[in-house]
Amino acid sequence: MRRFAYLKPGSLAEAFRLKEDMPDARFVGGGTDIMVQIKNRVASPSTLISLRSVPELQGIEARGAVRIGAITSITDLIKNDILRSRYPVLVQAARRLGSAQIRNVATLGGNLCNCSPCADTATPLLVLEARAVLQNPRGTREIPLSELFKQPGETCMDSDEILVQVMIPAFNAARKGSGVRAVFSKKGRVKMDLAVASLSVLIQTEGDKVTKARLAAGSVAPVPLRLTQVEEMIEGKTLSGKLIGEAARLAEESVAPITDIRSTAEYRRHMVGVFTRRALESLWTRSEA
Amino acid sequence: MKTEISFTLNGSEITLTVEAHRRLLDVLREDLGLTGTKEGCGEGECGACTVLVNGRAVNACLYPAPEIDGKQVLTIEGLVGPQNELSIIQKAFTECGAIQCGFCSPGMIMSTKALLDENPDPTDEEIREALLGNLCRCTGYVQILEAVRRAAEKLEESR
Repeated sequence: MRRFAYLKPGSLAEAFRLKEDMPDARFVGGGTDIMVQIKNRVASPSTLISLRSVPELQGIEARGAVRIGAITSITDLIKNDILRSRYPVLVQAARRLGSAQIRNVATLGGNLCNCSPCADTATPLLVLEARAVLQNPRGTREIPLSELFKQPGETCMDSDEILVQVMIPAFNAARKGSGVRAVFSKKGRVKMDLAVASLSVLIQTEGDKVTKARLAAGSVAPVPLRLTQVEEMIEGKTLSGKLIGEAARLAEESVAPITDIRSTAEYRRHMVGVFTRRALESLWTRSEA
Repeated sequence: MKTEISFTLNGSEITLTVEAHRRLLDVLREDLGLTGTKEGCGEGECGACTVLVNGRAVNACLYPAPEIDGKQVLTIEGLVGPQNELSIIQKAFTECGAIQCGFCSPGMIMSTKALLDENPDPTDEEIREALLGNLCRCTGYVQILEAVRRAAEKLEESR
């Protein structure tokens, strides 16, 4: 194992101070990705600044919107009663992330900040219109999550910025009477594998009309991707077999997958269509949660 | 960079000085001689190094040693009784033939321990889910599933 220093600040202020003293240091959450990269010599940080003991990054609070501390482990996310009842699509996706051993350690912030196109928590949060709260010594800013992802492995964050919280607005909660429901689909080679393709779909209906549609796809573009054209096609309409078929075709055309070790571009594109059709069919027939 | 860590290991308090870049797995196997925890892939895929930290299964190969400060660590060595007798889960694994080469067994057993502590009566699907991160290359999964079910029954009887 390559040598590196490992620092455990006990506050956000201390984390910022350490980063200022050591600009080359990297912030780390659960470390389940970077420890593998270090072993394989893909990354060779001189210093890791662990954010696990930073209290400002912990906890899940619900006052209208739900705010999830970035250092919340995937397991704690799955066990949270508020998330289970209001945002089951996020919990559904989190349950498909890695193995129990990984979920117990990996964090929400780490999953997002790695900026992998296949991050399992990204697409449900995109359809829930989540916002990212970023902080550095100079202040705090809040951005739509969709703006966080720039390209594989690269977020829009400044090097001294930390993802503090993920905020999910109350209006997308699956409450009784809200007409909101959502579903997550994922295809991996084996069950605990990274996604070959994944898709989250959220719709809101009034009567039989779709008032809101949100679709986001994983592993089929350089970053987790909102399928806004498909959303526009469905919104304001009544779902039908024909409309769902057209939406699935447009979804296939909206993505830009690649062929790599896990799958081919053709198969990934095809799966986005399949997932779109299946998700819309199940949401169409399902009475609201 | 060296750092001092204090934690509870299999019920005993210990304090150690470790190099900050070392993994929990290195500290267990090399510093403490607890070689029951195995290193398979070293990348969090195979689960051979599974131990419990604060009651939850983790891959010791991905766990930075400085993070165990103040925590409770349970390894396969911590399962045996005071007379060195095997625990109920370990016995169930041997009785069901869920052990062949044995390399995956400590990890399988620790994942089973984490599962049954939280969910004493799991369904087959829940067992599969809990053991998803543990690979067995002797392909004894059927026997392993059987062993977990048997361990759950025996634990229920012992309560």
